[in-house]
Order: sequence, then structure tokens, then C-alpha cells
Amino acid sequence: MINFQLNNTSVQVDIDPDTPLLWVVRDHFKLKGSKFGCGMGLCGACTMHVNGEAVRTCTLPIAAVQGAAIISIEGLGTPDNLHPLQQAWVEHSVPQCGYCQSGQLMSASALLQKNPNPTDDDIDVAMNGNICRCGTYSKIKSAIKSGAEVMRTQESIVETFDPASGKSIVKEASS
Amino acid sequence: MPDLSRRSFLKATAWIAGGITIAFSARLIKEKSVSVGPTLEFPNAESGKGWLQVRSDGKVHMLCPRMEMGQNANTGLAQIVAEELNIRVQDITLHYPTTSETAPIGFTAGSLSMMLFSKPVAIAAASMRENLRCRAAKINKISVDEVIDTEGGFVILGSPRIGYQDLVTDESIELDFENSVIPTLYTFDPRRIKKQVGQEAEPRGIKDLVTGAPVFSGDIQLPGMLYGRVIKPPVRKARLKNLNFSTVQNIIGFFDIVRDGDFVGVVCRTPGSLDKAVRSVIIEWELPEPINQEKINQLLDINVALQRGDLPSTLQDENHNPSANWDVDLEFAVQLQTHAMQEPRAAVAHIEKINDIERINIWTGTQDPWAIKRHCADDIGFREDQVEVHPMRMGGGFGGREHYEVEQDAARLALATGLPIKVQWTREDEFRVARNRSPSSHRMRLACDHKGVLSNWWHAYASGYVFYSRSRLPDWLLPFKRSTAGGDFGVSRGAHPAYKSPSIRVEYKEVDLPIDLGVWRSLNGAPNTFVIESTMDELARQKSIDPVRFKLMNIPDSMARLGNCLKRVETMANRNPLPAKSGYGRGFACGVYEKNSFVAVSVDLHIDHEARKICIDRMCCAQDVGMAINPDQLRAQIESNLVWSIGMALMEKVEIGDGQIASNNFHNYMIPRMSDMPSLDIDIIDNPIIHPSGAGEVALIAGSPAIANAIRDATGLRLTRLPIKYTDITALGSL
Repeated sequence: MINFQLNNTSVQVDIDPDTPLLWVVRDHFKLKGSKFGCGMGLCGACTMHVNGEAVRTCTLPIAAVQGAAIISIEGLGTPDNLHPLQQAWVEHSVPQCGYCQSGQLMSASALLQKNPNPTDDDIDVAMNGNICRCGTYSKIKSAIKSGAEVMRTQESIVETFDPASGKSIVKEASS
Repeated sequence: MPDLSRRSFLKATAWIAGGITIAFSARLIKEKSVSVGPTLEFPNAESGKGWLQVRSDGKVHMLCPRMEMGQNANTGLAQIVAEELNIRVQDITLHYPTTSETAPIGFTAGSLSMMLFSKPVAIAAASMRENLRCRAAKINKISVDEVIDTEGGFVILGSPRIGYQDLVTDESIELDFENSVIPTLYTFDPRRIKKQVGQEAEPRGIKDLVTGAPVFSGDIQLPGMLYGRVIKPPVRKARLKNLNFSTVQNIIGFFDIVRDGDFVGVVCRTPGSLDKAVRSVIIEWELPEPINQEKINQLLDINVALQRGDLPSTLQDENHNPSANWDVDLEFAVQLQTHAMQEPRAAVAHIEKINDIERINIWTGTQDPWAIKRHCADDIGFREDQVEVHPMRMGGGFGGREHYEVEQDAARLALATGLPIKVQWTREDEFRVARNRSPSSHRMRLACDHKGVLSNWWHAYASGYVFYSRSRLPDWLLPFKRSTAGGDFGVSRGAHPAYKSPSIRVEYKEVDLPIDLGVWRSLNGAPNTFVIESTMDELARQKSIDPVRFKLMNIPDSMARLGNCLKRVETMANRNPLPAKSGYGRGFACGVYEKNSFVAVSVDLHIDHEARKICIDRMCCAQDVGMAINPDQLRAQIESNLVWSIGMALMEKVEIGDGQIASNNFHNYMIPRMSDMPSLDIDIIDNPIIHPSGAGEVALIAGSPAIANAIRDATGLRLTRLPIKYTDITALGSL
């Protein structure tokens, strides 16, 4: 039995311990936002936050997340309550086919937690593991910058990892 | 199958239940499609089709005739409906029909959506508007001229506003405007100040995409669904030699193995167990047609082909003089490239029995759902009316989703097990099975006079089949279609010169290569334009003429829109001077896609010897595809095309290894990433009096040659084999 936090809810699952986290979230917990793209951690479509870090979950065995705090795209924001980055993605009309965008958003949001004011180079480094075959990179970069600006200047939603409780906390906080 | 008319289709599905529906016109193209060929039933210029409805609450509903893969064509069509009906695009409710809910609609390919659908949709919406106007006039006993447009309805002097809801009842009415006069189309009226067309519109469904809503076929979850995978042979025509699955029973979650000839499928209860089960199956293939790069190079060798005389197909032949005094004579090799769409294909199939009749439902992301329906019926022995395809959003298409492939895996496994099955291809499956863009081999010769006016043009090339690739048509028909003159238009796309020359020969040879090929963004448009634009650039440089001036001099008046793009992109490029340092270069290229889409691209780059890399710093693009219905989406398509041109010029190549395709994931097939991105300057030339043409595969054709021309500018080297690597530059001893 493996216990972990999924989008701030305690969950447990009895499954083959080497099952990748991606399949557990998609097929056991039926959260379909994180995508399968390559199965080798090369494209980033499956990215989630594990204890606040952007991690490729198609190669991460479920046994490795015992006690961890996992946030998937479903935990980042909802259609009625978009995360500032999701809002920026809409304002910049970032997605084309859209398949990679959950992973892009998870990598971008992990970047902004650590670095609220990233340079172009910071963005290149943080986002280089996320492929977008439609080529929306230019819009992604613009959206990250404007989302970051919103998050810096306004009260914004932040996700922090609390080592004491082992939970990721998504809350409103002033910057 | 009973021949349901289009109208009864709609009635049968309760689409025509209440309110006013624009009726189908009988004047559709009545091209009889081969049962397992692509779907080619496009609306003609005057047919409205049955996709539009105003319901009694005044709300407008639209059936989406296009498949979604990121191009947002339905958003553009909804903008047209909104313009004609004086409403906001976001107030239109979009419906995505299954193959049982409408008659066949032509496949979503070739950047045809705006070109072929904009006018029929505009006519449908304008006819709806004028019918509503007549109703308003009749109710108020005034002439129609006195009923004036306003948002969502009409105004009459001295009366309260009339909304569409005031004019529509629950009574079901079909408008048939087949014989009526086409009303004024606001979309195509250049004097009108447009409120919807030409404006930015939020792509429909964008919030679903940024919040991870289940909109792709792999997201479908049916009760009791199992997970299946068909083990893909390493090359086409491979035969099963040995199969050993003695240990698969030990895998927890294993359900069944399905074998039928060379078809081997594994079915499990979870996706995690499926990976393990497939790994435990030992399978050996007999390869009657092993492939290797050398053999493909030999088959394509253009010089060997030319030594045998004229090539089998001639695209243009005017006053050809093979022994002209050629100023440039270059050979090119264009690589095998794949779509590598972000979503490896997935399909869900479920067979149910209703009143003793079996029906199969298939959820899949495809560019041609009606072809999938016909192929599936043919494949599993069902009648077509027993197959219903539910088209899902595609995670990228690019021409790679026109065949019955992952759907076949799911349908056969569902038939064998009697249970709902999801098949999710692996990335390796994608690389093995994809219908890749053919490699090609070219020889191009040009001559001009001392002023730089072209005198002789000779382009000869060899390519694998593009459109009429394997299983595009039934085996008995394919050879016939291939041998018809100009039959495979994919091979010849982009080879028509945009320049004038008194002597021209363009000839080609189609080769049946031992690898699966097919349609890839722009078909052969990008390879052929790469060759033409590289050779033109080289000729200009050898004659010490500025390449842009040289091209402008040779562009005929009939291609003024092309010249305009080139001039504008030159102006954009010149706003930022190129650093006056060694290793920096600027290149230009232009091209025409499918006669009516014009583009020019400039590239600034430098050679980074420390990082051993060719770095693209800046790309400018000017594009004219006529009326810009949604400028933001045009910009998105241009950006996408420019990224693809970087991949084509510098990175992508499907490697062929020991008897099979060796590239199998993103570590051995490199595609552009964030750090490869240059800054982009884009100029969308809006030409509102010109009917919109395609934009989905235009800028790509000029991007790759502009990169090669910039490398020539930076290094003095003319590189003619794609992709161009840093080591190609050092190997040739530049700098």
C-alpha cells in the first residue's frame, strides 16, 4: 500500500510498486490531464510536481512517491479558478493542439515557485525538457513572463511544500 | 446501407428538432468516393450544408465540420457565422458530430478549411439572417428594407428591438435556399467594418486545454475497459517467425493474447501491466524486405535516374535545352522526416449489441473519421452503419493521421475480446508505423544572363510516394492512381517555379521505397522549395547580385503578392542590423504554397564554435493568405511553421539502422525545443478582398531554405544535405 498526497488530498493505492505515477494518476485516480508522450522522460507531457519539483512521471515508479506531495494539472487551477499562469496561457492563446500544455504549465509553475522573476535563459533551462511539437514556445515564454508579473504584483496563489506535514499547500498569499 | 439523405441524417439525430435549420443543398460535390479511400466530400461554393441552426431561445448552434488538431479552424468558421448574424463568436454553441450524426465531410487536411468552408458557411449564416429579416418584416407588416441589423437581432424605426428569439418558435423549420439568391456576405464585403472576422477570437475549448480536461481519445474511460497493444513489426511486410508467450500468464493484470496470422495483440487490465506483458512476449520476425540507408540512397539517386534519360513524370517542359551554359548545378538530399506529433495515437473501441445487431463505437483523433468508419467496416466485416466514429481532439496531426491504424488495433482487439479496449501507442510504435515524409534527391541547374535575368531552369528529382502511399487506396486501385499523369500530387507539390524563365524543365521520378511514407506537413512543398530557393540564392551570389534583388527581378507580375512578401520581409530584417562579425549571416527565401498562399522568411544566425552549434537568432516572416479571418491564429500557424523549418533545416532525421527504423524516441530524433527558438517578427498581410487560402503549411516552405541561405552568408558554404549540422561546416573547412 502506497500513501501520498494527490492535489492536497491523502490517498492510498494498492498497486504494483513499479507502476509509473502517470498511470496511477490517469487510470487509477482518473485524472486525465497529465499526458503520456514518450515513456522515457524525454518530452515532459507527463510533468507533475513532486514535493514542489517538476518531475517526469512516466518513468517515476509509484513506490518512489511514498509520503510525497503530488500536484497534477488538476490541482493547479480549475476552469472557474484558473492559476495565474493558466490565465496567462488563455490570454496569450498559447495552446495549439494542447496535448503538451499540462506539462508545460506544471514545469512553468514549478519554475516560478523558485524563481518569481525568471530571465529568458532561466526559462529556456527550466522549459527545455518540455517539447511542444506545434511550436508554441514563443507564446509559452510570453505567457510565463506575464503570468510571473501578475504573480509578483498581486496577491497570488502559491504552492509551497511543507516538510513537516509532507504536504504541498496551495493557498492565497501576498507576495 | 440505406442511402440516408443528408436531411434525414439530421432528422434522425434530432438536430432538426426545433428552430430554424439551414438545409443541406443538393448541390454538393457528388464525387463517388471509393469505399476505403480518403473522404473527399467538400461543400461546393454555394452549398450551405446543414450545420447551422437558430433555436427558439435565439441561440445559434453550429455543427463543426472540421477536426481539431490545434489549427482552430472551427473557431474561424464560427467567427464568420458571428459576423453574418451580428452576434459574438463566443455566443455560438459548437457541436462536434460523430460519423452517424452527419453525412460524410471531407477530410481535414491540406490547409483547406478556410479556403473551402468559409464561403459555404458564410452563405448559410447570411441566408439564415435574411430569412429572419423577412420574418421580422412580415410580423411588423413593413418592407424588409426597413428592418435594420443590430446585435443579435434587428431594429425597426419607432419599435423596440427584435431579438432572434422573437422570430423563432419551437416549430421545426428547414430553410432550403438552393434556388434563392445568395444574400450579401458581410464576411466578404470589403467595405464593411467587421466586428468578428479579422479580429482575435479566443480559441474554442482553450480552458479545457489549460486545465487538463479529458478531450483526447486516450482520456476516454469506459466501464470495464481493458488496455491492449498490438506488437508492431519492425518494417512493413514483416512475417511472424516465432512467438513465445509462455511467461506472460505470470504477469499480474494480464488478460489475454490475441493472435491472427501476423497480428499479435496483448490485452491487460492496467496500462502498467501491459508494458510488462508486452516485454515478456518473445517475438521474432522474418524480414522479406530489410531496409537500409544505402539501398534507399541508391533507389533515389537522381544522377543514376538521369543517366537513363528523361524522368517518367514531367511537370513543366518549355524550350528545354539540356546543354545550356549552366551557371549553377547543385545536388540536394532531403532527409526522411516524421510527424512526431505530441500525442502518440490512441483509440478506444467498444462493441455493443442493440436489438441483436452488433455496433462498434470508436473514439479516436483522426483527420478523416469517415474513412476510419469505412475502413473499419471493411476490416472487421461490419456494415458501415454498424460503425460509429467519435472524433476526438488530436494532439497534433500534420498529415500523419489519415490512415486506419491505431483504430484497427482497437477494433480488432475489441472484436476478439468482446470488451471495451483502449490502445495507446507507445512513442516507439509511432516511429515504427508513422507515414513519414519521403527522402528525396534533387539536381537543379540554373542559368541567367549578365543582368541576372533567368534564361534556363532544370529541376530533376526522385522521391518516394507521398499521397498514394500504401493502403491509401485498395491494392487494385493504387497502381492505377500512381501511374496516372500527375497522379501523386504530393510528390510534385512545390515544384512549380514561382519565377519566370524562357526555358524550363521540371521532371521527377516516383520511387516505391521499402519504407512506409505518406503525407507530412506541406507534402513535398518544403523539400522542393528548399531546393529552388537554395539554388536561386546561390546563383545570385555567384553573379554578385543581392539575392533579394535577384529574386524580385525574376518574379513575374502574376506573382506580385510573392514579391510583396519578399520586400516586406527584407524591410523587417533590415530594422535589426546583422552584427558585423565573422560567423554571422542573413538569408532570405520565399515561396508559394498551392497557388494562393505567399510567404517570405528571413533568418539571422551565427555559428557558435564554442557550443559547436548553428544558432538561429532571429526570423522574420511576411505572409499573405488573403483575408485574415483570425490574425492571432494565423500568427500561431506561422510560428509553428517556423519552428518546423528549424527542425527540418538543422535537426530532424529519421535514422535507419539494421534492417529497420532506428529512431524510436526523442533522444535519437531531435526536434526543436525552447532553447532553439529565435526571436520572431511576423507580418500578416491582410488582403480582405482576396478569398482566404490555406495557412497551416506555408511558412515552413521558406523557413528551411532561408536558414541554408543564411549559413551560406555566414560561412560561404552552400550546404545541400538536410539536416545541416555544425560538423558539416567544420568538415568543409569554413573559417
